[in-house]
Order: sequence, then C-alpha cells, then structure tokens
Amino acid sequence: MLLLSFACDCNAAELLALPEYLRPDPFGKVVEADRAAGAAPARSIVLEGARAGFVSCHLIVSIAQKGAYRLQVFPFAESSGLQAELYREWYHYVPKSGKYFPDALVPVAGTVQSKLPEPDNRIAAQTAQGYWLDVWIGHNTVPGVYRTKAVLKVDGQESTATIEVRVLAAVIPPEDAVTMDHNTYGTSWLASDYPVLSRSGGGKFYLSDRFFDLIHAYHRVFYEHRGAFHQLGYGHGGKVGPEFAPALAGTGRTKGIADWTLFDRHYGPLLDGSAFAKTHIGPRPIKLVYLPINPEWPASFLWWGEPGYEREFVNVVSAMDRHFREKGWTNTRFEMFFNHKKRYKAFPWDGDEARFANDLPYLREYHRLLKLAVSADSPVKFVFRADVSWSLEREIREFAGVIDLWVCSHSGMSYLPDAPRVLKSRGDMVFTYGGTPEVTEPSSHVTRDVLWPWVWGTDGFVRWLTTAPGPDPWFQFEGGGETMVYPGDRFGIGAPLASIRLKLERNAVQDVTLLNEFRKTLPIERLRAEAIRRFNGTELKDWYAPRPAYADKDPMELTNADTPQAPSPKFDKELDAGAWQRVREYILTLAREEK
Amino acid sequence: MKPGMLMLWVAGATLLAQTDPAAELDRVARTATAMVDGDVCQRIQTKRSLEFLFKEDSRDKYVASDNFDVDHEAYIQTKKTLMRLSKLCAGECDVNLWMPLAADPRQIQILIRNVYEMSSFWQWGKLFQPTPAEMKRVLSTGERVTVRGASRKISVLAPAYNSLGDIVGLVEVVAEGQRDLQENVK
Repeated sequence: MLLLSFACDCNAAELLALPEYLRPDPFGKVVEADRAAGAAPARSIVLEGARAGFVSCHLIVSIAQKGAYRLQVFPFAESSGLQAELYREWYHYVPKSGKYFPDALVPVAGTVQSKLPEPDNRIAAQTAQGYWLDVWIGHNTVPGVYRTKAVLKVDGQESTATIEVRVLAAVIPPEDAVTMDHNTYGTSWLASDYPVLSRSGGGKFYLSDRFFDLIHAYHRVFYEHRGAFHQLGYGHGGKVGPEFAPALAGTGRTKGIADWTLFDRHYGPLLDGSAFAKTHIGPRPIKLVYLPINPEWPASFLWWGEPGYEREFVNVVSAMDRHFREKGWTNTRFEMFFNHKKRYKAFPWDGDEARFANDLPYLREYHRLLKLAVSADSPVKFVFRADVSWSLEREIREFAGVIDLWVCSHSGMSYLPDAPRVLKSRGDMVFTYGGTPEVTEPSSHVTRDVLWPWVWGTDGFVRWLTTAPGPDPWFQFEGGGETMVYPGDRFGIGAPLASIRLKLERNAVQDVTLLNEFRKTLPIERLRAEAIRRFNGTELKDWYAPRPAYADKDPMELTNADTPQAPSPKFDKELDAGAWQRVREYILTLAREEK
Repeated sequence: MKPGMLMLWVAGATLLAQTDPAAELDRVARTATAMVDGDVCQRIQTKRSLEFLFKEDSRDKYVASDNFDVDHEAYIQTKKTLMRLSKLCAGECDVNLWMPLAADPRQIQILIRNVYEMSSFWQWGKLFQPTPAEMKRVLSTGERVTVRGASRKISVLAPAYNSLGDIVGLVEVVAEGQRDLQENVK
C-alpha cells in the first residue's frame, strides 16, 4: 500500500519513488500508458501490506548530467522480518510504439555502482534509471511501522528517499484464491535463450545438471510469484522430450518403463517441493503437471483400436501410478491432456480445442484407459484435462465424470455464468485461458486476469505462452504478449528474470487471496461488488456477456468471428493503471479493521 | 538369378546400406511405393475440409486450419502402413505422406507425419506449401529422389499410386544423422 508525499522539484541528481503501478521511463517520467492526474515521483513512500507477502515500489535514480552514481538501499532491522530485494529495470524499446518500457528485472545487490546512461541498455539520452524494490514481510513480523532509506550519491552529493512499511496483523493465506498459470512448450528454446549457459561446463547440455537446474529455476520464478508453470513435453506428432517421460522398452505385452532417471531428475524436486526450499513462501509440491500421455505415448498408435494399445497404455500408466505412490508424489494433479491438432498432420482427431463431434469419442476411450490403468484407491491424483473453446456447453453436458480439469476459452465462459458452479459442484477444476497484456498497455491490465477468475468463481487463468520474449527482447521488443520472464543469460544469470508484469500479477494474487478470506465474515457477493466497482466502476453483470445467437448453432457452423458481445471499454481502453490500487485500498481497509 | 548371385546381391545391398544410410532409406521408400494404397490416400482429407483449404477470411485467419478434417478410417489405415514401413529402417526414421492439391497443382500438403516429427520439407504449421522441385520430379516421373539436407538429414521421396496407375502422392522416408531430441516438442 502506498502514499506519496513531497512531490519532486527535480535537481541535478535525485532519488525518487513511485508506486508499483506507475512505471518509470528512462527519462524521469511515468510511461504514458500509466500516467494519471496528480501522480508524480516523490521522495518518500509508504507501503502497506499483510504478512507473508510482498509490498513493492519503484525507486528512480535521476541525473541531469551523464555520469556515475551509487545507490544504496539500507536493510530493515534484522529483527523486523522484512527483507528488501532490489532489481534494475531494463528498458525495452518497442518499435511499434517508438517508446521504451521497463519490464525485465535484473537482480542487484542492495548497493549499486553504475552510471547513466546505463552502458548495456544503450539509451543515449537516458537520464533516469528505475529500480524495483520488493519488500518481503515475513509471516512472524510483528505488526507495526518499519522504516528504511535509500541513498543516491552523485559527485559527493546525496539524495535520500525514505521507505515506510506498515505491516498489518493480517496474514496472506498460503493457498491462493486463484491460480495464475504460465504455460510453455518443450525445452528446445532453452539452449537458444541461454547460449552461454548451454555451452559452458562441457558435456551434453540436455543431460546436464545445468539443464535441469534451469528447468527448476523456471518453475521457481513462477512459484515465487505465487503462480504455476506448465511445460508441455510432447509435440503434435507425439514426439516426447526425453526429460518429460520415463524411457520405455518393449512392445505389446512386454512394453514397460525401462528407466526413470531423466524423469526423476526433472520432476522429483518439483513433485516433492524441494526445488522451492529457499523461497519465501516455502517448499510445497507443484499443484499441477502435464503427463507425457498422447496418442503415441505410452502406447504406439500403430496398435490403436487393437488389444495392444490398451495393454501398452495400462502397463505404463499403472507403473507410473506405482512409482508416484512410492515416491509420495500425491499432492500434485497429474494431467492427461491431449494438445495435438489434426492440422499439424500427425493424428486424425483434435485433442486440443476439439470441434468435430466425431473427435469426441477418443476422449471417452482415453478416460476408459486411464481408469483401467490407475487403481481406484490410488492416492495419486490423475486428472483428465481438456482445453475447450468451440463447444463448451456440449462438453460440460456430455463429459461429466470424464473430464475433471477444464481449461475454457474466456469468451466461451463469458456467457455461461453458471458453468463454474456446475463444474465445481462435480469436483472439477475450472480455468479460463488467454494471452498476456503487453508492456505497452497500462500496468493494471495484467491484474484483470487475476480478478476475473475470482469474480467468476473459477480456479484461475492460464496464460498460454509465457516464456517466448521474441528474437530481440532487449532492443527490438515485440511487446511481451507471449512472455512474463526473460532469459538471464546476458547478465550471467543461469535463470529466468522476473518482469514487472509478473510482480504486479503476484501482488494482485496476494491481494485477492487476502480479500477472499473475508468471505468468512462478509458475503462474497458484497466483496465482489465492491472490488469490481473500485477496479473499473462496473457491476457484476458487466463481467458477463449476453448469450449470443450463435451459441445455439452447431460448432461446425461457427467461425472465429463469432464472439460474444465485446465487454465495455472499462475493461480495456478505459482501464487505467491505478485500477488495482483502488482494489488494494479496499482490501487493506478490510484488513485494518481485522483484529 | 542364381542363389549364389542373389546372396552376393543381398550382401552387397546390406553393405551399401551400412555405408550409405540413403541406400537403406531408398529400400524403404521403394517398399512404400508397393505398400501405400493411393486410393485410400485420396480419401483421407474430407471434401468439406478441401473446400476450406484455400479460404481466407479477414475476420478469421484460422478459417482453413480450424476446418481441416480427415476421414478417420482412411487416415488411420494409411498412418499404420507408414508406421510399419518405418520399422524397416535400422535406426529411427519417419515415413510421411504428401499429397498434391488438385485445386492448385503448384501446392502440396503433408497429410501424415510421424513420431520423430522429421521432414526435410515441411514448413512447421503450414497446411500446404509450394511443391519443391524434388517432389515435382517424383510426381511427374515416378522416380525415387534422394535429398540430403541440413542436420545430416536425408529424405528419399517415392511415388504412391492408386488403382488407375496414377501417381496421387508421395512418401518421404526421412532420417537424421544427428537427431535433435528437443526439436518440435511444442
């Protein structure tokens, strides 16, 4: 939470602060997309938050003349339980807008020696450098007010910004109210995104500890930001990356698992939580994971429709069930999910976003096979996931008891307000999916995808691709609609860098999780109504679309031009950067009242 | 051919296959021409799907791919044949099916790919693409053509005939000297 004071009278060198939702540009201003009347950098900032969570802001080093500077953020008293973490904000040039936007966050120590313009960012006219400050408030921090300062030194002159953190008694629950899921495909991109790491150390990268550590680092960056990370391990033709599946041997009756080594190196630390041992929120197993099951794995498609297909499938999947039990991997949902599409010319039916009615019986058959393979009393959570966009109503109706994890198109769900309740009453999980707002959009847009599932009563939101920053994210950025992290390789870091958008998403997840707790004392309808009123001045009905005429057509008659009525501009063009801050203020008001 | 000469021929062919992987792929490709049923291949893509294949809609850029569809029986029968053919390779290979498009003979589409997701020609994600010269040669002459590409990739193209004796498509038998195990896992 944040208050501003002492608006700046900028002199030659100055250290200023901005709230998290006002992103600074490299010239000392707020990026145009985030600008709001009356908002300006200030010399002090007040952050307010609940325990077991982060509060954040920007610090801005402004220097009129080119030259060296030293920034020091003093730590909070050790006894406070507050930990400050500092990141340099990278300014991405976005050619389509002709502007710079900060997004990638490069971790730095509490004391930074640098100069402007920053040599590696190559902005000749740069006069300001933003730093993102995260402050972790520990679970056991005593509620109260804590202060520290940050000091900028330039040519012997000092400029100081004070940072006050007000810690509330409330504690953010460990279980998030919504799961923000971040998707990606395979690992082939890791070698190209990490040329230094992949070529160092000798040996084969894809068999090395560097490789598996890097995969775990990707999981960790999302985990630390209260999100999930999905990495699909097979292609549209059924090719399975060796790190995503146990090695198989034999055929027909003799088909079975020959070697778990790579699978266990990959998934062991994720499924027992040890990959997250050093995180603030502590180690827990990942919530969800794709299985490598596809029409060609573990059973060969050569035997489809024959007894051998069932035998191979059951042999292998039942062995997986046993292995997972032996390992104690019983907290994660293992997803049987078919991602292939017939347009990629390897199988005759669509697994992903099925549209053709004659494709649907395949799903029933795989459900039957899964039931055969996994014993009824298994504590391992095998689930059948379907991503649905053409015929959600049909599939909800026809696949009760078959599909138990639904990833639905946002537009398809928008006119079915009762669908989440229906599905969840069966014990199913329900997500919607979509893209990621680009850096050129106001900063609050990334929080819209956090609020929407909570308002609808779904489990979360899947961002369909979150690790593809494009060919040159550093100097010719395409906007980041397919990434929320950046490769750290160019900074000598063998791990992904978080982004400002990921941090804003995390802080929103914290907030909505805390807000959700007030269901225990206040009607959820009231909480929702007030949150969305503050977010964008809307009412609950505005978050749904009227049932479109095409909804009753055969899916084969539909086109992608058939979309529900567009939501109000309040959800997009008119959604200002401060939208989430208003929701947060409501949540903090509730939290302050809590004893 | 006398038995002695036959053994000599087999030994020679085996030796050739050991020293030149293309020779082995060529042997598989030759078998593919005998085994792949061109009439069945012609029934794979549905009529409706073909009607959508060249459609463009400024409001729906996926109109062709979202309507791509196949006859399951014909597809599965042919895919299984291709999979069996790939078992004739000593190492890992794929046998893909390519079909020219009657509506535009300059274009060709891959219609069936297989598990290693290898091809010297497929432009990833394309429904159809301009017919490469090597494929034109196979379709017009019935010759088998060997193509050596990047990543020590070798493809042998061979014709597929229907019951009228027409060349209606071709198979691509493809292997890589050094497989990229992570490629195309997407």
